[in-house]
Amino acid sequence: MLRLIGRRLLLMIPTLILVSILIFALAEVFVPGSVGRSILGPYVTEEQVQLLNERLGADRPIVVRYLSWAGGFVTGDWGDSALLKVPVRPLVMEAFWHSLLLAGFALVLIVPASIALGVFAGLRRDSVLDRTITVSSLSMTVIPEFVSGVVLLYVFAVWLKWLPVTALPPDGSPFYTRLYYLILPAIPLMFLELGYIARMARVGTVQVLSMPYIRTAVLKGLPRSRVVFGHVLRNAMVPTVTVIGSQVGWLLGGLVVVEKLFNYPGIGRLMVEAALAHDIPLLEASVLLVAVVYMIANLIADIVVALLNPRIRMGG
Amino acid sequence: MDDHRQTSLGPDPDLRKEAAELGADPEMIELRAEAAASAREGRLPADQDRRDQELQADAAAAAEQKRQRRYLVKALLRSPTFMIGLIILLFWVFMAIFSTSLTQSYTAQDAMSSLKPPSAAHWFGTDDLGRDVFARMMAGARTVLVIAPLATALALLWGSIIGLVAGFWRGLTDDIIMRGIDVLLALPIIITSILILSLFGKGTAIIILTIGILFTPVVSRTVRAAVIGEREREYVLAARLRGERSSFVMAREILPNIMQPIIVEGTVRLGYAVFTAATLAFLGFGLAPPSPDWGLTIATQRVFLQIAPWTVLFPALALASLVVAINLITDGLGRTFSK
Amino acid sequence: MSTVEDPQLSGDAAALDVRDLEVSFHRRGRRLPVLKGITLKIERGQAYGLVGESGCGKTTLAMAAMRYLASNGTLDNGRVLVDGQDVSELSEEALRKWRGGKVSMVYQDPTQALSPAMRIGDQLAEVYHYHEGMDKKASLEKAREALRRVAIPDPDATLRRYPFELSGGQQQRVVIAMALAVNPQLLILDEPTTGLDATVEAEILDLIEELRGRINAAILLITHNLGLVVRLCERVGVLYAGRLVEEGPAKQVFTDPRHPYTMGLLRCVPRFGMNKTDAALQTIPGTLPALGEPLEGCVYSARCPMARPVCMRREPDFFAWPGDGPDKGRQEAEKLPPDPAAFSPHHAEPVGEAERHVRCYFCAETPHMPHMTPVLATSLEERGAHEADVLGIDHVVRTFKDGRKQLTAVADVSLNLRKGETFGLVGESGSGKTTLAKCVTGLIPPDSGTITFEGGVLKSTAGKRSREALRAIQMVFQNPDSTLNPAWSTRAILTRAVKKLGGAKAGSVRAKVDKLSADVRVEPRFLFQKPTELSGGQKQRIAIARAFAGDPTLVVCDEPASALDVSVQASILNLLVELQTNEQTSYVFISHDLAVVRYISDRIGVMYLAELIEVGAAADVFSPPHHPYTEALFSSIPRLDFEEQKDRIPLRGTMPSLSNPPSGCRFHTRCHRFLGDICVNEVPPDQDVGDGHTYRCHIPPDELRRLQTAKDQGPAAEAEPATAG
Repeated sequence: MLRLIGRRLLLMIPTLILVSILIFALAEVFVPGSVGRSILGPYVTEEQVQLLNERLGADRPIVVRYLSWAGGFVTGDWGDSALLKVPVRPLVMEAFWHSLLLAGFALVLIVPASIALGVFAGLRRDSVLDRTITVSSLSMTVIPEFVSGVVLLYVFAVWLKWLPVTALPPDGSPFYTRLYYLILPAIPLMFLELGYIARMARVGTVQVLSMPYIRTAVLKGLPRSRVVFGHVLRNAMVPTVTVIGSQVGWLLGGLVVVEKLFNYPGIGRLMVEAALAHDIPLLEASVLLVAVVYMIANLIADIVVALLNPRIRMGG
Repeated sequence: MDDHRQTSLGPDPDLRKEAAELGADPEMIELRAEAAASAREGRLPADQDRRDQELQADAAAAAEQKRQRRYLVKALLRSPTFMIGLIILLFWVFMAIFSTSLTQSYTAQDAMSSLKPPSAAHWFGTDDLGRDVFARMMAGARTVLVIAPLATALALLWGSIIGLVAGFWRGLTDDIIMRGIDVLLALPIIITSILILSLFGKGTAIIILTIGILFTPVVSRTVRAAVIGEREREYVLAARLRGERSSFVMAREILPNIMQPIIVEGTVRLGYAVFTAATLAFLGFGLAPPSPDWGLTIATQRVFLQIAPWTVLFPALALASLVVAINLITDGLGRTFSK
Repeated sequence: MSTVEDPQLSGDAAALDVRDLEVSFHRRGRRLPVLKGITLKIERGQAYGLVGESGCGKTTLAMAAMRYLASNGTLDNGRVLVDGQDVSELSEEALRKWRGGKVSMVYQDPTQALSPAMRIGDQLAEVYHYHEGMDKKASLEKAREALRRVAIPDPDATLRRYPFELSGGQQQRVVIAMALAVNPQLLILDEPTTGLDATVEAEILDLIEELRGRINAAILLITHNLGLVVRLCERVGVLYAGRLVEEGPAKQVFTDPRHPYTMGLLRCVPRFGMNKTDAALQTIPGTLPALGEPLEGCVYSARCPMARPVCMRREPDFFAWPGDGPDKGRQEAEKLPPDPAAFSPHHAEPVGEAERHVRCYFCAETPHMPHMTPVLATSLEERGAHEADVLGIDHVVRTFKDGRKQLTAVADVSLNLRKGETFGLVGESGSGKTTLAKCVTGLIPPDSGTITFEGGVLKSTAGKRSREALRAIQMVFQNPDSTLNPAWSTRAILTRAVKKLGGAKAGSVRAKVDKLSADVRVEPRFLFQKPTELSGGQKQRIAIARAFAGDPTLVVCDEPASALDVSVQASILNLLVELQTNEQTSYVFISHDLAVVRYISDRIGVMYLAELIEVGAAADVFSPPHHPYTEALFSSIPRLDFEEQKDRIPLRGTMPSLSNPPSGCRFHTRCHRFLGDICVNEVPPDQDVGDGHTYRCHIPPDELRRLQTAKDQGPAAEAEPATAG
């Protein structure tokens, strides 16, 4: 098991290096014009641009710049924001914790709910209930978060006035108040995941139900509850967990939209702002952090799958 | 001996086989029965009759193919999800093409009647610049319906080629391609698109290219998985024993047999392309105002949500109906194919 | 266990009593009958064999007995009584108790029958927990006992293992242990050994036979393998198209079959020792009906060589035999107005009391059923075998990587093949026979060693081989469902093969395709269809035609008939023999079915753990002196003859891993003629028996002949296992 984790961690390193190169290359090499120009805009002189380039070290060879940037990222020196002139790291980290709270809140609510729905639909395969769950959860998934977000905002905040319009409570509010404010932004994120996870849980259940070993379990006279919880669920969870891991990517993308819609100071909004303002150090750092988080999520999913499946666990 | 074949079918052999055979359309069972009956006659026809027989057989085979295709179409037409989805999609395609000549102008501003609620003059009200929301809603389908299909087509093309090559050749080629795909997939699509669009500028062509490129890895993964499922099948081995080139084996032997997953993948991607294009517009990386694009409209009008919700809700519903429609089509196709 | 049963009912009630059972599946409002009026009875403690080919409904019958039909299946008529209890009247909870308690089942594929993520111990223990209310500790103790009962080595360790850590044979032992956990009245064995290797199959059969003496359960054995029924069952029922066509004591039915279908089945399986040069296999014309296919009159009339108009007119009843029932029935049928579909439930009940029943008007004539006369193979000499070798395999080695492990699939194999000869390759799964075949055809390049063809060295992969070499060496594959590209029409498949391999000019391609399809007996009308519309046998015929497109010199046949029903298998084997006679083609023929290999081959090679351990003429390899492994393999075949049941030679342990093969002689870990250190430390020499018959063993031929013939003489052999063990 430990060997498995170790190997997955080792495998992450080359991917991470390639991702960082990709981000760096996209941000610095292919930008039309120099870094200084993209920060300062078209209305300053060439000398001023040169000066800034030198100050930023942007005139050094590309490999050196990459190494110093990547090295800085590893050691915690993420550079200064070009726009705000403050160190990037605290900026990104603060936004990151905000986003983690929102995304974590959404995940904690949606994962059990969607698995339950999916398994339920799978057990009652092809019934009206199954079709209803499948079609409606899938439809919710494909509707962009800003669409569902806007509609929800209108219904619950503007019309019914049950929930606050904003996502951030006044400073100093207790934790549960913060969660209360996060309910509305979390729902579009939950919609985003619902269909996927539910569908996977359903497919997994349907597949496992058709396996001969389930027939064995039924025909050896086990109660239905034992068949479902002892034999079906565990095996049906394998594809589901894998999907949850990879869905974290969508969730992170969804954060961008939801945070913008609700004016929530998370990493998604930060990235959009950085992108629009061409604040490259800030953009690079946030994107790389997101990539790291995504890979860690997948690693965790792999580990859970290995826990569920003795064959993978023991095979190493 | 029968059971060796059954094991190769997978779990629960006899039952599944029986169920699968029963699951087939009654027409197919009849056909099989006919074939079996003629096989039972067992003898080859005399030579003089043979030409006639062949001609008849030609006709019968053609009719049979038509019948199968008709069966597939019939099954799709019978699927309510597919039909509802198709009707909505066709409605929006129609509006994207013809709405300008059917509705009021979607650009005409009228400062006097800004943010007016729905009325006979303006069915869905007006926006902050006094433009007709209904006209803008109808015209708003255009951008996504240009971007999404083109981007999907690009992704399908590239993804199929990459998937075929990686899945068929395996080995080092496959390793390199898959690592590249892993890297691209390690970044959420929306975030990568923001990165690319903020650096390379906006514009329909760039958006199409970006979405096309970013969807390619997912498509190629699906195609690769399908290819790997086929490449060890015996008909592919037989082709290799005939000395066929790799390109022939990929294009003529394997590709026709993985069209169904590719088509399903295509519709899934189409839905997500609409999703992504609209999201990018919402985030400010799409077209600039005064485009009637739904995502853009929602982004610019959402400040009026409290005082003039119609400016936001109608384009939101329009967008929702389009993505749900595509999703319904996917669902219908998937179910029909898997039968 | 004494829960709900009514003592009056269960007093002397039969273990299984199926009365007039009709089951059909439904699809879009259409009813497709699968079982049409089945009546059968299994007395307590009796073993009953139900035989039939695929799609005849035998598994459906088992599932109906377990009340576990697929969701679109319905029980339309009839009753299933187990131990006097009507299954359909059980409540949910009683049904649960009854399954696994009164009736239990052993399934076809043991690797799929156990829950993959649960320890063996837990899977067994839960049976005791839910049936006998034991706590965890007690039920685990019972589970250990159960494993001991099925002779699993090291039951304590096995309890903690997951299914994937056990071999197929051990998994099946676990499933059997599970089925016998709560002393059932009826044990259903659904193809319990299909898919297992010959020696493992024999092991499981021994276990079942041995357990029969200790349990009082009646057995319903469902199988396509007639040999199993001969070994295990007192009575047998023959199922065809959802209809019981013959029933009676197994010995009577198999030695004196009275239904033409039973007769056909028995005639189309090669008996062990038969060779293509002495007798052609009989075939059953036509193909199996599709499930639910409407059949007129007698269900078998369309394929029956004895069918007469009256058979189509009205379906025969299930007549008692011997008796005058069939004649009376026929006269009655002739008097009635023609009603081809005539079938009403009363036909299901057997007519007349007797041990045997047959559903045929003409069963008196069955022993004289006409023989089909397929082409008999010519002798090797006539096939040009005196000429030089066609194929030479010289020290071929092939390994695979599995993670960090190196698996040697083919270890230093050398052999040669003459023109017009069939070289049979036998061995259990993982012995390397298919890998070797793929090396010959160039689908897998060997790591080292050379393959020569007609004197020249072949390139290692098909892609590098000349067009001439590709034309000359072709392959027929095992799986009829994937051997043809489903997207192409049959004609397109053959046309492409003729174009690429035949080198024919454009004008003559069509003629060549027509000739090929005529040669393999496929009607032209099927050429316009896609493979999915053809039957398994037809697909395999097209695949054979494809291989013969360029008039090959050598065709490698990898289990070409194994996936087919026995009645179809025979016709494919006959076709291969006929083509060989006409074209003087050489074959490498791979099969796990020893009788089939013995029938079709001129020479045979036996593979064990990637090594070729014995080569010789077909008759020689299977008679002493031969390699102890061959001896064991040979002894493990379930035979059709009632008199000649040999004692099986049990092999110790399980198949060693290819990544870490035993030292010295690879067979020493399992050998019953193990000598001692020499077997462990030294690679045995190839002993030459003469006539090209060699085997790899430390025991010299004379000594081995003495040992092996002594064993055949009976009691003297008793001492044998002791010295061997």
